[in-house]
Amino acid sequence: MTTTATPPTTTAPAKPAGRRGTDLSWTVLSYALAVLLAFVVSGIVIAALGHSPVDAFRAILTTSFKSSFGFVETVQKWVPLVLLTLAFTIPLAAGKYNIGGEGQLLVGATAAAAVGIILKDAPMVVLLPLVLLVGVLAGGVYAWIAAWLMDRFGVNEILSTVLLNFVSFGIVDYVASEVWSDPAAGHPTTVPIGDGGLLPLVGTPPMHTGVVLAVLVCAATVVVMRRTVPGFELRAVGTNPRAAQVHGVRIGRVAVGSLVVGGALAGFAGAIEVAGVHGKLIEGMQSNYLLLGIIIGLIARGNALAVPFVAFGIAVLEVGASAMQRTADVPSEMVLIVEALILLFLLFSDVVGTRLRRSSR
Amino acid sequence: MTSVDETRREVREGASGPLLTMEGIRKTFGSVLALDGVDLTVGRSEVHGLLGGNGAGKTTLMNVLYGLYRPDSGSVVLDGSPVDIRDPRDAISHGIGMVHQNFLQVDTYTVTENVVLGTSLPSWPSLDLDDPAERIAELSKRFGLTVDPHAKVATLSVGLRQRVEILKALYRGAKVLVLDEPTTNLTPQEVDSLFGSLRAIVDEGMSVVFITHKIRETMAVCDALTVMRDGKRVGTVRRADTSASELATLMVGDDAAVGRVTEVVTAGMGAAAGTAATGAPARDLGDAPVRVSVRDLVVLGDHGVPATHGVSFDIRRGEVVGIAGVAGNGQVELAEAVAGVRALEKGAVEVDGEPLAGRPTAVWLESGVAYVPEDRHRDGILPSASIMENLVLGAQRSVRFRKGPFVDWKAARRHAEEAIRAYSVKASGPSAPAAALSGGNMQRVILARAFSHRPGFLILHNPTRGLDIPSTQFVYDRVREAAAEHSAVLLMSEDLDELTHLCDRVLVLYSGRIVGERTRGHYDQYELGHLMAGLEDTA
Amino acid sequence: MNEATSFLQLVVTAMVPFILAAQGTMIAGRAGVFNVAQEGLMMLGASVGFLVSLKMGGNLVGLLVAALVGAAFGWFLGWVTTRFRLDQFVIGLALFFAATGIASLLYKVVIGVTLKPPLIDTLPDLEIPLLSSIPVVGTVLFTQDVMVYFAFLVSGLLYWMLYRTNLGLKLRSVGENPKAADSLGVSVARTRIWCSTAGGALMALAGAYLPMTYTGTYTEGIVAGRGWLAIALAFFGGWRPQYILAGSAFFAGMEVLALRVQVGGVDIPHQFISMLPYAATLLVMMFALRWASVPAFLGRNYDRESRH
Repeated sequence: MTTTATPPTTTAPAKPAGRRGTDLSWTVLSYALAVLLAFVVSGIVIAALGHSPVDAFRAILTTSFKSSFGFVETVQKWVPLVLLTLAFTIPLAAGKYNIGGEGQLLVGATAAAAVGIILKDAPMVVLLPLVLLVGVLAGGVYAWIAAWLMDRFGVNEILSTVLLNFVSFGIVDYVASEVWSDPAAGHPTTVPIGDGGLLPLVGTPPMHTGVVLAVLVCAATVVVMRRTVPGFELRAVGTNPRAAQVHGVRIGRVAVGSLVVGGALAGFAGAIEVAGVHGKLIEGMQSNYLLLGIIIGLIARGNALAVPFVAFGIAVLEVGASAMQRTADVPSEMVLIVEALILLFLLFSDVVGTRLRRSSR
Repeated sequence: MTSVDETRREVREGASGPLLTMEGIRKTFGSVLALDGVDLTVGRSEVHGLLGGNGAGKTTLMNVLYGLYRPDSGSVVLDGSPVDIRDPRDAISHGIGMVHQNFLQVDTYTVTENVVLGTSLPSWPSLDLDDPAERIAELSKRFGLTVDPHAKVATLSVGLRQRVEILKALYRGAKVLVLDEPTTNLTPQEVDSLFGSLRAIVDEGMSVVFITHKIRETMAVCDALTVMRDGKRVGTVRRADTSASELATLMVGDDAAVGRVTEVVTAGMGAAAGTAATGAPARDLGDAPVRVSVRDLVVLGDHGVPATHGVSFDIRRGEVVGIAGVAGNGQVELAEAVAGVRALEKGAVEVDGEPLAGRPTAVWLESGVAYVPEDRHRDGILPSASIMENLVLGAQRSVRFRKGPFVDWKAARRHAEEAIRAYSVKASGPSAPAAALSGGNMQRVILARAFSHRPGFLILHNPTRGLDIPSTQFVYDRVREAAAEHSAVLLMSEDLDELTHLCDRVLVLYSGRIVGERTRGHYDQYELGHLMAGLEDTA
Repeated sequence: MNEATSFLQLVVTAMVPFILAAQGTMIAGRAGVFNVAQEGLMMLGASVGFLVSLKMGGNLVGLLVAALVGAAFGWFLGWVTTRFRLDQFVIGLALFFAATGIASLLYKVVIGVTLKPPLIDTLPDLEIPLLSSIPVVGTVLFTQDVMVYFAFLVSGLLYWMLYRTNLGLKLRSVGENPKAADSLGVSVARTRIWCSTAGGALMALAGAYLPMTYTGTYTEGIVAGRGWLAIALAFFGGWRPQYILAGSAFFAGMEVLALRVQVGGVDIPHQFISMLPYAATLLVMMFALRWASVPAFLGRNYDRESRH
């Protein structure tokens, strides 16, 4: 599929529209209904499996707020989630699907860990910015490969980004078990990076300061998308690439740029995970952030302002998932199904909403 | 499936009275009332014209007949018995065939495959298309619709593809054949041949509904006609009992309105295509300097094959130059190339002395090039974006709408409010989404955008396609205004009437080459048609 | 049996999941439905196929139930994208998550967390009389399990159906120009739903084959990107069953080669070898797309009353 032949997506890119009043209340209602229905349906499933839905949901929803440990864990989980979501939604605004956040995160983490290990004696003022910057650059470059294949050869970006994920697994495995392997770990893991490369911690229990950086990234994204010329051009390409091209927007460049920026943010997430959470590169550290990033992006309908909030909600569910498995004996995968159901019900609410509006005319 | 012969017999033996009656057809799209209780009666063996400006509801009415749209209310009686048409399958089984304006063909299929698609055919052990191909050849001979049954339709000209569409209906044994604006993109010679086929078809007992907005065509081929305006039927007359000017009044409505938009209606009224020298005598451009110079242009089409081969022309200040030609002869590529959207393979384009070849589109826009594309939905607007955002598009990097890296949305809003007023755009305000606009209002937004930076070179490609009469008139007025303000205007149109009416000079494009040129005062549509068909210039 | 013959025999076995998943992608795609949930549907197929085989009597039942579950997902995709015209990619991704989640959930619910996972029998080889005694070819092509024959048969049937029957003529027109098809009485929605259903069944079968031929059990990483590679294969094969069948040999070859090189002790870090199928696919995609044609309406929903 050549990229120019890709039809403009109609549902995904969000934009500020008119008629705010009724739209807003409908939006809130549809989200509430989707969440409620998803919990009802999965509650039935949990009950059918012979467990208590009430215990399960209590574990899911309260773990984040019962203790400050739970809350810090949730916030720290929110960081990679929100960054991977933006890595998905920024290209999506230009009509491109970046399904490669996982690979971009891993390559960013690998690069960050490499710098942190090679320069482990460097002072913090040098090493920390370097670790983060290298992670950002590596993620961006990795996404650029897919963008280049798309722009130059017409390779579908869904495929190229996904396949690069699998390539990145090999890279991580190699670095963690051959190059800087920590044989004591019993699992492909590198030796720790230098102390100067670690993000400072604040509060008790300690929370890494990458959280602040992620908040700043979110705010910047909202401003860029809504207020700036590149943001406008990005949305124009997403709404109708042909019309944008006819009116002087370099659509190839915008699409490539959006993927590279997305990759850079995923790489940033990888660097933060290394510098803030693990202090080293660990195989499998990407967890299921890619899937969750896509789900959050779709639930937030690509709206940059909604992303941080939806991401927080999902982070709560994810932190609660393991507690649910421990206390209510319900497999943690149940949460993935809850999330998929929220998304599906939300999509259906569009249909219902359109019908209602049509019939009320 | 009934064959043509059976149809003929049935019709001869059948009851007298009308073949088709549609009564009180009403159809809304969202909040838009497209058809307001329309009646239509088509007699046996007649060509029935359905006349009206674009947006009058002609196509919508026929799409209801063909089962593509479900009417909100109304009834259809065919051959004396009421029928319920839910989808095209029902329509086909009741003997209704329709030739759509945009041909509904599978490009990768052969003529035969396109014709038989959807009919039942034996498939064991393997699909046999030899018998259908023979029948198609037989039908095409009988009705003067010659076409090779084994050719891929993608390789056929517009005229031949239209024959395929008609054959599709005949093959299915249509009793009523609907043709939607069938003369669009045909040369006058091809139009004559089409009219010949239509007569052959009604002579065999079928009836034809002929949708058009050109009075001249209804006078040339119809036995009776129904005039529509604003989703209503405004009159049904026999051709023998009417006149072109009476039809014009019916089409437009009250006499005052006729005054405002006569130009559009009369452009399509010219008594017969053959009469030479339509329009006023040549305009004196004096010694106006050349503003746009195009030299030896070679542009590649979408498949990497050259679509134009060394096109050269100049446009002077205040001059309107037309490009005539059958669609698919390089128009799209030429328009996009001189608009700076498509890269030039070879050649040069200069606007006001500035060479633009090889520069990014944005530079062309800054140099005063403005482009009104043919397909406004695909190339012209951002559907889900607001009118305001659509008006900013293309100028987002200019100082008018920019403050540092930020878009100046306040200035954009002011500009949008002004444009909505100046161009009489019917919309709730600058924030209304562009997709909600009607075709005419959408085109007004696009024109407002094109004119907002006083274009030195204005390119319009089929700018009135699908527009209602007032909007068409609005476009004509803007073209005149641009010329009066010294723009160089390039008008590419599938409508010869429009070209001969508006242009100072018409170039004919055939197979990517300029094959002829006529200046105002020397227009002869048959001559132009001759050139458009690729025949040598005899003048 | 010499080295080359056994290598080829393994390649033919490895072709099966690629053939089935890519033909499933193809048949849905030819009607205009672009299913991007393969990876998830293959996981689900693997999980369901394994569990049913283990608990409810045998591989064939497992394959059948997996196919039915896949068909249900395919049907859902076809239904919501035609009836409600929801975005195909978004729904596809949602189904991908749902299928992935359900696959792991089912395994955990039925088996739980164990150190020693239970095993099912792998599919036995069936020797085709006479043909299997041809040297080399007999071993490579005719000493295989039932799903190998099934995959080739399905490919042949799809080719015949698409290009030699009236049904195929209608089906392809829906993916090329649904408006034209609709105007001639071909039901766009019904065609799309059926094709998407069939496609989903084939994808789940592709997944169910994995535990039945390789591992004997279900693991989270069992599909390992084969679903995504199958989409690449569909593009690579120009959405034509015969080229997809041929192209699957390349994908399977890469996979078996990567295994062989690792086992064979060549002096390349095994991590790089494991990247081979994915990297090679990207390389091939760079050049193969120039001639590959794609159904014109792939991934695009059709609205009859859309006015433009």
